Amino acid sequence: MAFVKRKAMEPAPADVPKQERSCAELTACLEDSDPQTRRQAAREMLHFPDVSGALVSRLRREQDAAVREVILTTLVRLADPSAAAGMAECLRSEDAALRNEVIEAIGLLSGDVSATLRTLLADSDPDVRIFAVNILDSRRQPDVESWLIEVIEKDVHLNVCATAVDLLCEVGTEAALEPLLRLKVRFVSEVFIQFAANRAIKRIRGV
Amino acid sequence: MKRILLVDDAATVRMYHRDILECAGYAVEEAWNGIEALEKALQSPFDLFLVDVNMPKLDGYGFLRELRRLEIPQMPAIIVSTEAEADDQLQAYRSGANGYLVKPVSPSQLLTHVRLMLGEHSQ
Repeated sequence: MAFVKRKAMEPAPADVPKQERSCAELTACLEDSDPQTRRQAAREMLHFPDVSGALVSRLRREQDAAVREVILTTLVRLADPSAAAGMAECLRSEDAALRNEVIEAIGLLSGDVSATLRTLLADSDPDVRIFAVNILDSRRQPDVESWLIEVIEKDVHLNVCATAVDLLCEVGTEAALEPLLRLKVRFVSEVFIQFAANRAIKRIRGV
Repeated sequence: MKRILLVDDAATVRMYHRDILECAGYAVEEAWNGIEALEKALQSPFDLFLVDVNMPKLDGYGFLRELRRLEIPQMPAIIVSTEAEADDQLQAYRSGANGYLVKPVSPSQLLTHVRLMLGEHSQ
């Protein structure tokens, strides 16, 4: 009974801020075997500069979803170029859950991430380019349509274009009509691209 | 009528697969991520799941692992992904998939695999 009372009155040990811990101490705590210690360290690292690298390094290996969530929250709040680039690199992970968490996190980054997106859209791996389009979907920035049009005009990979067309179905305007028609010609024998482009064209024309 | 659940965050993909499957006489329902798919799978049984990998909230592998962990009838599932590497397929089978298709899937390819999974390949 006393234990229950203590729990009700005091915050959980992991939620108690560890005062005045150095950046080096917190970085070391990221490798602790206790997930709560890692989570707390990731949260406190927000107050130090140049910690994105250490956080990303841990993120790539972290198996605990709750710790990953805190690391990503800290990286989003840090929002420095190193955080954006580090998260983008996680898109190459074999872990599908991590990839999807990173896509959502990059979508939340404040400021201009055009350079990161431009790099991702030029990646040699079509899967990374698909994730870049997913990030465009997640961010919904004002110029998203022009990015998508560029993808369907230039990308050689069918699935990258198909992902962009799916988003154009939602955000496309008349500016996308001609590029969609050209895409149909470029992939004339691909049933799915014909279906997807027709769907987008009909939606834009209000048919 | 056999019931199939399409799990994909891309509406265009869901509509494309739905058209093909409904024309072939299947009853089709949709979910846009693994969480929604789990909810539907728990509500009523399906004969087959067609599952994308990269989806928000819960990815396809996570969905399959949860599905296989739950005490509900173990219906077949096909992963339908843009990722074509052998490692991706291995990960899918380890997560509980029974088949693997690489997007984009042609209508005949889709129906062949669906019928095979449903034991209708000789019809």
